Amino acid sequence: MLSATSSKALSTSATLFNPIYTHRVFTQNLDFKLSGFKRICYYSNPFTQLVSFKCKGNKFSRMASNFSMRASAQPLKNPDELIDSVETFIFDCDGVIWKGDKLIDGVPETLDMLRSKGKRLVFVTNNSTKSRKQYGKKFESLGLNVSEEEIFASSFAAAAYLKSINFPKDKKIYVIGEDGILKELELAGFQYLGGPVDGDKKIELKPGFMMEHDKNVGAVVVGFDRYFNYYKVQYGTLCIRENPGCLFIATNRDAVTHLTDAQEWAGGGSMVGALCGSTRLEPLVVGKPSTFMMDYLAHKFGILKSQICMVGDRLDTDILFGQNGGCKTLLVLSGVTTLSALHSPSNSIQPDFYTNKISDFLSLKAVTA
Amino acid sequence: MLNDETMKAKFLSHGHAKELFDSIEAFIFDCDGVIWKGDTLIDGVSQTLEMLRSKGKKLAFVTNNSTKSRRQYAKKFHSLGISVPEDEIFCSSFAASMYLKSINFPQDKKVYAFGEEGMLEELELAGYTGLGGPEDGKKVVELKANSLFEHDKSVGAVVVGLDQYINYYKLQYATLCIRENPGCLFIATNRDAVGNMTDLQEWPGAGCMVAAVCGSTEKEPIVVGKPSTFMMEFLLKKFNVTSSRMCMVGDRLDTDILFGQSAGCKTLLVLSGVTTQSILQDPSNEIQPDYYTEIQIQAEKTGFKPKETKVFNIVFVGNAMLCEIHRCGS
Repeated sequence: MLSATSSKALSTSATLFNPIYTHRVFTQNLDFKLSGFKRICYYSNPFTQLVSFKCKGNKFSRMASNFSMRASAQPLKNPDELIDSVETFIFDCDGVIWKGDKLIDGVPETLDMLRSKGKRLVFVTNNSTKSRKQYGKKFESLGLNVSEEEIFASSFAAAAYLKSINFPKDKKIYVIGEDGILKELELAGFQYLGGPVDGDKKIELKPGFMMEHDKNVGAVVVGFDRYFNYYKVQYGTLCIRENPGCLFIATNRDAVTHLTDAQEWAGGGSMVGALCGSTRLEPLVVGKPSTFMMDYLAHKFGILKSQICMVGDRLDTDILFGQNGGCKTLLVLSGVTTLSALHSPSNSIQPDFYTNKISDFLSLKAVTA
Repeated sequence: MLNDETMKAKFLSHGHAKELFDSIEAFIFDCDGVIWKGDTLIDGVSQTLEMLRSKGKKLAFVTNNSTKSRRQYAKKFHSLGISVPEDEIFCSSFAASMYLKSINFPQDKKVYAFGEEGMLEELELAGYTGLGGPEDGKKVVELKANSLFEHDKSVGAVVVGLDQYINYYKLQYATLCIRENPGCLFIATNRDAVGNMTDLQEWPGAGCMVAAVCGSTEKEPIVVGKPSTFMMEFLLKKFNVTSSRMCMVGDRLDTDILFGQSAGCKTLLVLSGVTTQSILQDPSNEIQPDYYTEIQIQAEKTGFKPKETKVFNIVFVGNAMLCEIHRCGS
């Protein structure tokens, strides 16, 4: 007789702290069915007295604004109508613009066309391995005309979030992740520890061995990390468990991602999962589907959410992100999601429209089932 | 803070040793935090085990730590001066292999071991082909265009346990097997968040590795270790006593005590490991063992003939029966 575990917890999504928005405190009920524990976790910002979280963006959570059943996604038959109805297009990158380091067909012409029609273009990616600047270079190397200010990677989101809560400059941040996060934290004026160099550190589990950790670490940021190891897990775990008020922030929780064009790779959801497993806590998520980046750029550019169309290849991050933000949503099938996954009875996330790839804006082709 | 009267778990104090002591025929001990901490034996343990055996009690050691095989654990006991035969040891590495056997997992399918040596050894002893293990801890991943990460399509199960050599290679290998090999099983030896892997501090447990794979596969595993009662079937067969005449002794509420309770055993929590008295008594804690105690060094008189200088104090309180076992210094 075996018991299968079935513990699913809600992720807390971070929102931009802004007096314009209504803030509510959500308690998280972490129900570890197997352990019999029920722990209520209150997330509060130790550095300000105010709490600002919107607990949304997880398929297991109920969203107050989303009780009505959505109609099934429509194939995109009239791209011009969609284009004319919005002012801004937000594009995901992996699976929409490129796959690994290969540009998807027709992308440059599509972006040029949209710009020529006066549309604002923004690129929002959960991939935290690069900074905005580094992404700018990637776009350039692929022959695309995109500026740094149009790019919002989850590495940037983590730094922007810490800025928004006035994370003190004298506190440190432990990073389980790659260069992109380090660069963005540095740009924002924060002190950090960890990153790729800790990938070389080894553990020796023997009597008398004790890992020391910096008591001044006030936040642990976790994202995709190909140099992931036991040293980092322990360091992050010690900071979160033992440093009072230490924040646990995740850039994103994507299960898999197209790091190369040939196949899927275990994503940031894996590293974040590891820290959840050892701390028994849930992180603040700054990347999609959390609306943090949406709130940030809407505020920055002064745009209304109803004037935005989110274009992505992933239902539980891109499309949910768009829906949570109150935007129109377009799913492209050039990435991780197939038509059958979209139509599957177990899928409850329906974008407004779907199409093969973004260059369909140009070709006006309908999607064949 | 709950006091002794309102809390269900009773602190062991004086009582009638014999009656309750006699009601337990078999003691099941957790290891990390009960017998040892890392590689350091906890005080009073060998005398206690000796005493229990001398009274004719049956013993078993059930540990969620999958890094060693039964044979390796027997060696560890021996190195700490305690003689424990292999067949008294039930580690989760053994449990994983036994589970595969119990479902007639085909011998021509392979098993990917996201864990350490002990896991591989038990798989091999059960006649299975194990891939992965510590060797994969040295492998590095290349993320380049046109480079494909290959994985063995004949892997029919991925077993995940404590692995201090966790790295991206293993995460990716396990993820691909589970997501792409049809019917591939996802088995977890256990889900302990942290454990006393060294005597000085707690370290991330298998719960970390398992949650990492859950994060990339979006699937939940079959858990063979505590608090799953899978291993109890082996214990019942071995001891040939009913579970009500067994006592589970452990340091962790959500694995050891829950395991004992689910199987219908008496449960005794020791505070020498990961659980403190305040955790036990915290209002949010719903798991109450029958008894709790601290392994102490004491010198007190009992009805038993004093022989040793060290003392292991087990006191049972409940059902108006008190039991105290001491060995006192002469």
